[in-house]
Amino acid sequence: MPLLELICPAGSLPALKAAVDHGADGVYLGLKDNTNARNFAGLNFDEKSLKEGIRYAQGRGRKVLMALNTYPQPATLPRWHKAVDTAAELGVNAIILADPGLMGYALKTHPDLRLHLSVQGSATSYEAVNFYRERFGIQRAVLPRVLSLAQVENVVDNTDVEIELFGFGGLCVMVEGRCLLSSYACGDSPNTFGACSPGHAVRWEQTAKGMETRLNGVLIDRYADHEKAGYPTLCKGRFEVQGETYYALEEPTSLNSLEMLPEMARMGIAAVKIEGRQRSPAYVAQVTRVWRAAIDSVKRAPEQFKALPAWMAELAKVSEGSMNTLGAYYRPWK
Amino acid sequence: MQLALGPLLYYWSREDTLAFYEAALAWPVDIVYLGETVCSRRHLLRLPDWIELAGRFTAAGKQAVLASQTLIESESDLKALRKMVAWVSTPSQALSPRGGGSGVLVEANEWGAVRLLAEAKLPFVAGPTLNAYNPDTLALLAELGAVRWVPPVEMPRDMLAAMPIPEGMQTELFAYGRLPLAFSARCFTARHYNLQKDDCQFRCIDHPDGLVLASREGEDFLCINGIQTQSAKVMSLAHRLGELNAANVDVLRISPQSRHTEKIVALFRALLDGSLTAAETPAKLAPFLPAQPCDGYWLGQAGMAWQPERHLEGIAP
Amino acid sequence: MKLPAFPQVFARVIARLPAWPPSVAFAAACNRAAWPTLGELDWSAAHGKRFRVHVKDVGLSMYLSVHESGLRPEKTGPVDVTFTATAEDFARLSLRLEDPDTLFFNRRLLIEGDTDLGLTLKNLLDAVDWDELARRMPLALGWVAQAARQRLLPAPT
Repeated sequence: MPLLELICPAGSLPALKAAVDHGADGVYLGLKDNTNARNFAGLNFDEKSLKEGIRYAQGRGRKVLMALNTYPQPATLPRWHKAVDTAAELGVNAIILADPGLMGYALKTHPDLRLHLSVQGSATSYEAVNFYRERFGIQRAVLPRVLSLAQVENVVDNTDVEIELFGFGGLCVMVEGRCLLSSYACGDSPNTFGACSPGHAVRWEQTAKGMETRLNGVLIDRYADHEKAGYPTLCKGRFEVQGETYYALEEPTSLNSLEMLPEMARMGIAAVKIEGRQRSPAYVAQVTRVWRAAIDSVKRAPEQFKALPAWMAELAKVSEGSMNTLGAYYRPWK
Repeated sequence: MQLALGPLLYYWSREDTLAFYEAALAWPVDIVYLGETVCSRRHLLRLPDWIELAGRFTAAGKQAVLASQTLIESESDLKALRKMVAWVSTPSQALSPRGGGSGVLVEANEWGAVRLLAEAKLPFVAGPTLNAYNPDTLALLAELGAVRWVPPVEMPRDMLAAMPIPEGMQTELFAYGRLPLAFSARCFTARHYNLQKDDCQFRCIDHPDGLVLASREGEDFLCINGIQTQSAKVMSLAHRLGELNAANVDVLRISPQSRHTEKIVALFRALLDGSLTAAETPAKLAPFLPAQPCDGYWLGQAGMAWQPERHLEGIAP
Repeated sequence: MKLPAFPQVFARVIARLPAWPPSVAFAAACNRAAWPTLGELDWSAAHGKRFRVHVKDVGLSMYLSVHESGLRPEKTGPVDVTFTATAEDFARLSLRLEDPDTLFFNRRLLIEGDTDLGLTLKNLLDAVDWDELARRMPLALGWVAQAARQRLLPAPT
């Protein structure tokens, strides 16, 4: 079983090459439609760039994982089936799925295709993970960013499925796959549309009061000139609760679990995922370089591992709001 | 069409909770969901209490369903789940083939629960967070033993109407109440009081309909309920009875609120009995709503939209 | 932070071009130097849309649109989307030394108007193969761009 594979985001061919060149063990990517949860205009792969990406990564001994992690809907189900077929034909190393129905299709149509359970599948217990294992033979599960490290360990100890954790990047405060805040405000959710706060619903405007972020007209936040900004997601907005205005759900911040790498190594975490397919090749290069060095270091000498200040500074620089958190891995965060 | 009283999403005192269900025994609902689905720290009623209530509702001629936890985080959450499944599967609680009549069902709200229920060969209700968005997943649920499903609360009419419903499967729609939109590991009520979740002092109890969260322009937007985030607006589909019938909805779910639930139930019952017309319902319901209504999800729009005057025509092929 | 020399020069050069409408100059230069590579991407979502590049420290705005044949200078007036940043940050972005989201978090990049169009343009620029772009540029320009990029890239950790 692999240990601490570094899985990096690729929203474009240059990002994929940046990940591979800077030491990713695998990249994950999606197609240019709502079959994956980063359905943003201008992002992602068509068949031509996908072929080139697979050639580039696999030619250097790295893996390509394709995210098909939204929920197919009756009218457009063939689109998801075709995407699974494309992934199989082009020879990706695995597909990352959230929907059990789609897993059934993949298993039946391409029995040799390796299946990973997406974070969007919302599996937080080994009972759920083992369900997908028994039923569809999934080989790996990505856990939602809501469990403490002790709870993660309980999952690892009670399943044969490889466990992949988010290491760094944008932080969903809500259980992935169980968050409809975006569609409540603007009609499109990650589950069906493949994006949270899609661009068509977002408006940024510099006003006399500050830079305003709106989602379908609802004011999510207003930043004074000196304040750092976050993504236009509802969970990172400032709201008023009982007369008090604050980040009621979460501050603009990114997850950074780098200092927990020795624990993850001890627990046998198979892979660490870097969030950020919506981000540029520059980000992918910066973050991949740091995490490659950190994982190499922890594998070499786990007891001596130290999260170097230079690494942490590099990661903080590209973080939302320039802030980092251990998130739910560190129990008091909850 | 049947009426269901959904699981209580808030945390009320033991007295208030028991008084609520005592009263509900006499309400004209067909199905009652019992149990804590939101937060495992809430403990004023425990499984034996819910089981006792289930027995009383069954005796009152209603179908009782034990609703299970949506977010399973720890081994103790799994233990609670297994206990619930074990109780339902004991021979003394014989279930009819459809899970109706005297039998008590479990509502599964995550796939670990589905696994346990399928292993025990128990019929179950597939809750809204199982994310059945397409026919294949729904068929899988039916194969595993689901006898009723609750579509994701964001599912629009057109998507629902395009779903082939497996033989013997009922469709229950979230038709009234603040929408459960998201679940987190973090407790936002505790955060509001600068408390950690592990030491939350059970402050949810002070907010029997949740804590409203407004935009900085004073627009009521969301509602904090512990680890759950709800809509501030109240989903209300009573005025769309014709469309609900046309979409083959079998059961309407009414989500409990701290006041006037009885009146809401009575109005829905009058609607189903034909003594109240669909068009009359918004005005009749208005005095009993804790906030503005919304029906956008059903129309395939932003969930918070409210367009009672807009009617959906026939379903596109 | 000490300003790298290249963007400073870049800013000064742009600032001294008032006699030649900057939109015309920029579009012409871009079409000649970069469009053979940029044009291989699918820009159809942006076709016909007007956007404004507002270089705030220099006090200069370029009005442009994208078409099948490349960039086209536009007259001033209402636009679909406006990008605002300093000359240095635009230069760092175009040399792919900086991540646009990072600049956004730090309030150094603002996208106003049609956000979807803004993100489309941002993501398409990210999808450009930079080495290919530099290789296909007129020789001297490509060399300058690569040299500037190499010089400004962070040292390996």
